[in-house]
Amino acid sequence: MADEDETKEYRWESGYEKTWEAIKEDDDGLLESNVADLVARAKRKRAALKDTGAIQLGMMRHLFVVVDASACMFLQDLKPTRFLCVLKLLEVFVHEFFDLNPISQLGILTTKMKRSEQITVLAGNQKKHIEALQQLKDLSCEGEPSLQNSLERAMNGLKNMPAYSSREILVLFGSLTTCDPGDIQKTIKSLKDNNIRVSIIGLAAEVRICQEIAKKTGGTYNVLIDDHHLKELILNQVQPPAVAGSMEASLVKMGFPGGSPIVNDGTSDSSADHAPAYCLCHIESETSSLMGPNGYNCPQCGSRYCELPVECKQCGLTLVSAPHLARSYHHLFPIKPFIERAQVRETTHCFACAKLFVEAETNVIIIVNFRLCLFYHSLPFLFLLKVYECENCNQIVCLDCDLFIRETLHTCPGCASDPVTAQMKTN
Amino acid sequence: MMNRIFDSLIAFGNAHLMQASHNKLAIIACNSKSTKFLYPSMDGTSRSYHNRPGQYDMFAKVDSDVRHGLGELILNDMTDNDSTKSDSLLGGAMARALSYIHRVQRELSLSHQLKPRVLVVSGSCDSALQYMTFMNVFFTAQKENVVIDCCMMDTDSGLLQQGCDITGGQYLHIPSVAGLLEYLLWVFLPSPSCRSKIVLPPPTKVDYRAACFCHHKLVDIGWVCSVCLSIFCKFSIMCTTCNTEFKLNRPAIVPAKSKKRARIE
Repeated sequence: MADEDETKEYRWESGYEKTWEAIKEDDDGLLESNVADLVARAKRKRAALKDTGAIQLGMMRHLFVVVDASACMFLQDLKPTRFLCVLKLLEVFVHEFFDLNPISQLGILTTKMKRSEQITVLAGNQKKHIEALQQLKDLSCEGEPSLQNSLERAMNGLKNMPAYSSREILVLFGSLTTCDPGDIQKTIKSLKDNNIRVSIIGLAAEVRICQEIAKKTGGTYNVLIDDHHLKELILNQVQPPAVAGSMEASLVKMGFPGGSPIVNDGTSDSSADHAPAYCLCHIESETSSLMGPNGYNCPQCGSRYCELPVECKQCGLTLVSAPHLARSYHHLFPIKPFIERAQVRETTHCFACAKLFVEAETNVIIIVNFRLCLFYHSLPFLFLLKVYECENCNQIVCLDCDLFIRETLHTCPGCASDPVTAQMKTN
Repeated sequence: MMNRIFDSLIAFGNAHLMQASHNKLAIIACNSKSTKFLYPSMDGTSRSYHNRPGQYDMFAKVDSDVRHGLGELILNDMTDNDSTKSDSLLGGAMARALSYIHRVQRELSLSHQLKPRVLVVSGSCDSALQYMTFMNVFFTAQKENVVIDCCMMDTDSGLLQQGCDITGGQYLHIPSVAGLLEYLLWVFLPSPSCRSKIVLPPPTKVDYRAACFCHHKLVDIGWVCSVCLSIFCKFSIMCTTCNTEFKLNRPAIVPAKSKKRARIE
């Protein structure tokens, strides 16, 4: 950010930007398609910047989310109140987080009245966190937040986590002040010693101490512009971060239940795998403990669970299923960015979606230059469409497919349709 | 035999189009060399369709495009004598299908909500080398709310079973290929929203165990590298995929025995 680099200016110090000159109208005088185009191109640029090749990513993450619940969160600059807006976005965040990092764990803390409270413990169960967030809506926001207390509490929770996991704290800070019992520099030092990365999202204005914490621990500090930007900033935290410094790698023992499928051929199955049993995940709750033959048995101790992933309460083995691990594999084999080219006559269709590339005689862009009163109108001037080519398989795709492949699909259809490149690189 | 299979598939496609006027159809074929959009055809040449009097034009178009496309695909396969052997490129075909669905959804997004689904009709076994492609396709389908159904002739495919389970689709292994059309019409024609009201073949319990990277055997308890998430069946000092060395948790063994021997002797 701007602090360390004196030559980089704040926005009010830089020159006058004539932003209206960047916008051009199309045939019907509409700006929509142009705006969508600009947005898509900005997305591509950002995606291309992010793609830095093979870095070590922290896949098993232990993340604490600290939500500021002080008096300033009742301000209504984010609708309906800052607090409710943040909670809603956090629900989306929790959902996406477990979607993308299935073997990670999350915990929620709040800070108010100069103290911090733990709402949920570090757990891998999505539903519990979402329920807790929904119950938080009734919480009254009062008092002053305490950055140090919440960081210390999160640190106590993370200290005992194994060394191979990526330890993170995400703070959603809406206040401009903090009320701390001791020296926060000591907290920062112990955070650094424990390899904990703190990222802060500011909801009000830039606070210097937050900047320092984020910088020293290797996290990021951003201040939001509006609620869409807040959503984007929160969802950026969903991606696994690059490993800071040295992370100890080790082999983690994990169990894969769900073998030996039930054979429906009429013979009675005498193995204990499918006998009706109570599941250990609900055994303490009075209402929802169901007995049934469905579920997963821990391969080490045989206890039954309804859902995966879960940590076995009996023997401590982490139980996952193969697709959970496979969700993170696409980070390990990222696709190289596609090369932008002008459309050639031979390629008429997009390879991925079979869309016809329209030669843009019908989409003539009227460029109106007020000073010289010249305008180019309905010249059969072929504005060549930009298409994207994959380096490996040389197939051409359109802009929408490029974004779709990069963000969602994570495989190039061209490479997967070519017998040479379709085989996996490893092994 | 192949002719009968193609006839059944075309009849099934036409049956789907007949159900409602806003239904859409796309057919993709794949073999071990390439994948191809059979309908809508990407050729750009308009062929004359021989439709019988009273036949809906679109049925004749589907019929003609599919047969022509399949003919080209098979001819390409026979003339191309490349030595690269590969499994059937089903992953690539499914990726193209998902991109097509995504594009159609974008084009119709304001007026209509699509309820997309993909039916895979296959007779090939699993390709372990295309595992990544398959899993990416399944997760994308789950995210985009696309239901993947599978109709297997001849062999079973564990990967496709997992895919159908992840996306909430129907997996069926057909006992006899002669009855293909009947199975397609009875089981796969109804849309996912009304499947709960129909009695369908029971879901198979999917084997979700992972295969270890060293022997490709299914394991119950495995060791997972924390860096690259590759699975091994035995504890080892180094990960073969990402070449990271693992820290052993045991303290170093002090060589006391040699000292004792030296003293005695």
